[in-house]
Amino acid sequence: MLIAGAALLLAACSEPARELPVNTRLGGDFTLTDYNGERFSLSSLNGEVVILFFGYTHCPDICPAVLARVSQVYRNLKEQGEADQVRPVFVTFDPERDTAQHLREYLPWFKADILGLTGELSAIEKVAEQYGVVFIKEDGGNGEVDFTHSDYIYLLDQQGRVRKVYPADFNIDEVVADVKTLL
Amino acid sequence: MLKRFFSAMSGVALLVTVSAGAFAEARIEQAWLRAVPPVSPSMAGYFVLVNDTDQPLVLTGANADFAGMTMLHDTGTDGEGRRSMSHLKDVTIPAGESLAFAPGGRHLMLMKMKSVPEAGETPKVCLAFQNHADLCGAFQVRHNEP
Ligand SMILES: [Cu+2]
Repeated sequence: MLIAGAALLLAACSEPARELPVNTRLGGDFTLTDYNGERFSLSSLNGEVVILFFGYTHCPDICPAVLARVSQVYRNLKEQGEADQVRPVFVTFDPERDTAQHLREYLPWFKADILGLTGELSAIEKVAEQYGVVFIKEDGGNGEVDFTHSDYIYLLDQQGRVRKVYPADFNIDEVVADVKTLL
Repeated sequence: MLKRFFSAMSGVALLVTVSAGAFAEARIEQAWLRAVPPVSPSMAGYFVLVNDTDQPLVLTGANADFAGMTMLHDTGTDGEGRRSMSHLKDVTIPAGESLAFAPGGRHLMLMKMKSVPEAGETPKVCLAFQNHADLCGAFQVRHNEP
């Protein structure tokens, strides 16, 4: 058993471009509003690899860290000339404060061509459900609104299928390598 | 001559040790703020608080002239990977111990920003205590954890 396991491990190692399995339980197309105020369907990005993630701009601890890390993935790919068909997509679950205009002002700072999506709360809730994202609005004290939320990052292939899900503290090199297997 | 020099030196060394003991203090180390876009409504600060005094220190808050409001927060993760922030009324650091405020956990939450300092800047932030004078430090604004 141990030997078989080791052999399997070796086989996996000697096969660098191992194909990522398609996650059939999560994901799917959706339509929201992009940061230019236009209706935007995820399927319009078919043909590109998408790094999809959720958050809100009033969150200062985890969210900017995730944004910075996703941006680093994109910039690393760009340096290697591999970012042309890659698009980071950020979905807010705080449409009240994260308006299209606010996202348009906020996201370019990360220099990673991040597309920002907002919309009706009910539409965002539906997308969250599709991707297994939980967010609960809460009173953060002193009149501030916070969210309890999951913070996974989704790697989608050119057909919009989920190919891998990462935790917020994902390894940047791992995601870069995974993206390249899809290009 | 040489011997006298050395004994004088050790006297100095002894003096230094004693005075360090006499002025045992609390201090802020590795203080930084996560760089965020200039339109950000809030910012998070991190640091290590070293309590070399012989009293427990009760941290109650902070202030910075570029933030209209500050709070001590804790980001928690539940069994299903969901994160949430909670407000900490105060945090006690036992005598002789240190406590870290770090990403994904305890953080200084700066809100109602009057201006957002940029990466590379080192604005002053002061920590407030129930039983100690304010401790102020230069918090380095940076993109990544030091
Ligand atoms: Cu917070």
